[in-house]
Amino acid sequence: MVMSEMETGLDRARAIYQDRTRRARELKAEGKQVIGYFDIYPVLEMLTALDLVPYRILGDMNEPITKADACLPTVVCPFIRSVMDLGLKGRYDFLDGVVMAHGCEVAEKTAHIWRTYLNPAYAHFIDTPHTTHTAALEQHKELLKDFKKTLEAFAGKELTLEKLRQAIEVHNEQRLLVRELYDLRKPDPPLISGTETLQVLVALASLPVTEGNELLRQVIRQAHERRDGPRIQPARLLLWGSIIDNTAIIDLIESLGANVVMDDTSLGSRAYFPLVEQTGDPLDGLANRYLVALKSPRTFRETVLTKTKRKDYLADLENRFSYLKDYAQEWKVNGVILEVLRYCDIHGYEVPGLKDYLDHIDLPSIYLEHDYSQAALAQLRTRVQAFLEVIG
Amino acid sequence: MAEGEKKRPINRLKTMYPLRALVDGMYERAVEAGQEGKPVAWCMVNWWGGDAILRAMEVAAVYPEDYGAVCAAFGAAPAYLAQADSDGFPSHMCGYARNCLGYAARMKELGAIPPEAPMGGMPKPTLLLSSGYFCDTRYKWFQALGRYLDAPVWVLEMPHPGVKESRLEGVREHNIKFLVAELREFIAFLEWLLDRKMDWDKLAEIIDDTIEMNRVWYEVNELRKARPCPMHSRDFWSSMPASLYMAADPKVTTGLYRQMYEEVKSMVANHRGAIGEEKYRLAFAELPPWHSLKFFDQLAERGWNFVIESWAYHPPKPIDLSQVSDPLERVANLTYQYFSGYFEDAYNTGDWWGYFAHPYLELVQEYQCDGIVLHPLLTCRTATNHLMVVQDQLMSKLKVPSLVIEGDIVDLNLFDPAEALRKAETFEETMSHYRQVRKEAGMAW
Ligand code: SF4
Ligand code: SF4
Repeated sequence: MVMSEMETGLDRARAIYQDRTRRARELKAEGKQVIGYFDIYPVLEMLTALDLVPYRILGDMNEPITKADACLPTVVCPFIRSVMDLGLKGRYDFLDGVVMAHGCEVAEKTAHIWRTYLNPAYAHFIDTPHTTHTAALEQHKELLKDFKKTLEAFAGKELTLEKLRQAIEVHNEQRLLVRELYDLRKPDPPLISGTETLQVLVALASLPVTEGNELLRQVIRQAHERRDGPRIQPARLLLWGSIIDNTAIIDLIESLGANVVMDDTSLGSRAYFPLVEQTGDPLDGLANRYLVALKSPRTFRETVLTKTKRKDYLADLENRFSYLKDYAQEWKVNGVILEVLRYCDIHGYEVPGLKDYLDHIDLPSIYLEHDYSQAALAQLRTRVQAFLEVIG
Repeated sequence: MAEGEKKRPINRLKTMYPLRALVDGMYERAVEAGQEGKPVAWCMVNWWGGDAILRAMEVAAVYPEDYGAVCAAFGAAPAYLAQADSDGFPSHMCGYARNCLGYAARMKELGAIPPEAPMGGMPKPTLLLSSGYFCDTRYKWFQALGRYLDAPVWVLEMPHPGVKESRLEGVREHNIKFLVAELREFIAFLEWLLDRKMDWDKLAEIIDDTIEMNRVWYEVNELRKARPCPMHSRDFWSSMPASLYMAADPKVTTGLYRQMYEEVKSMVANHRGAIGEEKYRLAFAELPPWHSLKFFDQLAERGWNFVIESWAYHPPKPIDLSQVSDPLERVANLTYQYFSGYFEDAYNTGDWWGYFAHPYLELVQEYQCDGIVLHPLLTCRTATNHLMVVQDQLMSKLKVPSLVIEGDIVDLNLFDPAEALRKAETFEETMSHYRQVRKEAGMAW
């Protein structure tokens, strides 16, 4: 019996979370082609439109890094080092190809290293620009045209406008379902825990989009019906920062008397909340969504006051972070955890400014840095405990 | 200048000193401009496009990356780093950035240039010109400066295609178009910010001078292929900021590089090397430990000549731009060539990392190096990401060994010169061994 017929809803999400390559291997055995990707910048609709299965490449906190040292130094993002290590150990040997983007600098460099050491049959790198300048948006569209060319050559068929529109629709559907999933976290107590949410998100990143949508529907239904969901806790937290693909950190926080009710990380809301607008040329909508609408600190945004021609610090912070204030209000958050992986520059530089902003809106916050290992997380326990006492 | 007069293990080039002085002058001019109420920019290295525009708009520029090295060399960095740490910037982040954030915090607190600031300090900026090239820090750092400064930030975009993608039809064209459009948007922003118009003739002249400056500087470095090598990396590092940071009028800088060309050429003709006896020829990968440059003197005494260094600090391989009439397109081509100049060779040898990694394979062969010193920096991903790949590829493809010495550009606590010297001693045997291996394999050096 294949995995898809075994479990449903949260059980299925947990099973996929625990063995996330299994379904992809099954699909591969059925003759599907599976394309791996890093981060949230590869334009997945274009894969789906060609009937290729997008599969997000993640790390494994429980697997000691033994092989990646040969090609990545120790002073780079430990998540990426884990990803590379798994690649070298064959964890992703079922992939038919990879598509990488310029999500952050280390991800960009690792795209070249991955290609050098793993020599995938298909590889494409999208050099996502860093700003939302008009020229950058035009460049991004050109980059998507380049991507389309190599993808069509690999798939041996044309990526038609109609197929692309359909793919956008089904991905947008997933994004709306993820919103519904997140709505489950608004009540007190939330109908789904932070840990369960992450399991669902990891599962989504491991399944074809239509299967992911089905899973989301099951989970949403189940969460409404069940009686054994999370309990009320004094702290309702928002988790902001570097990627979290392992439930350990959320388990730790939730075991100390808190509900993690919202996040802004690249496996969570950040990856799903913005929709793609259906535009005359679908590439316009896609280029805009992946460059402008996605809110990640890797894309530079800036506020200059028209009158004084100077930058106003608070106005700039408001421009960059006000969506977090909205999240905090909607999800009734009373504390924020700023979680940064060591050597993650993209998030590291945000910390003092974001703390200033959260202070400004009277939201207590704590900064936690770790190196993507269980041992490092254990050391954070007392700090989290102290923080929860303050806000509780 | 006293440094040049003493007998030293490394023969410093006489023509290096005026080039180095240009950088000192850059700080002086910027402080003066600030005092006179003229616009001042703090800039990231931006590979000439942004620099030429600022110069044509009469904006004085200083470069906080260089200033990080200055603060490290003058011992001012630890206090600034401590300030950035106490303001909550994680300590694993770029030493230059944290130095600058600490400096800006202190400047804000005092309302003036801190009195202890080396080289007269960096004046309060009118704008911050950042760059999306190579590293996330380069724009995140300037954005984070908003905590202390009210200067608007402009990020100049620069494309990073992959080796294979760069060969797709139309890719070069849309990348150049992007670069040009970016420069135009920047000009429009500056005109608005400063309430003044661009002098396009002046800009064209500066761009042409910049292209020529890079060409001459490239030719200087070509001469270093000679045995013995006449110019040590220390001279390179002292002379490089003049062009990399556009420290002065590029006409002036070009003149000084021409003088350097003549000096180096005459050394080659007279078989004079940069050190007494050149026993080993080495490459150096990435930024040096600015606070501990004397370390190279100790190695020079052992016969180590550093003949080439990081591709990233070198000018691009010259290309013919005579058919390109638009000045912005000319400078865009120069920048693109800087980035992608090694891509074709990389593609032909099946290397997928056309910048940072592949250029070392070419440089080590062309400059016939016996070894390479890799300097991973705890706080700089950009200078470190590729070093393991370089180490691996140099050994597997060219039988050239690497010596890894960890450190940092600013934080001297992370570099241990005594330990580094011990490692270097044993590395000599390794270099000799692989010299033999290469000889047996019929390689050229
Ligand atoms: S965690 Fe940070 S450094 Fe690592 S891949 Fe994500 S953005 Fe890049
Ligand atoms: S390249 Fe390195 S030293 Fe330069 S700004 Fe980036 S992190 Fe800092």
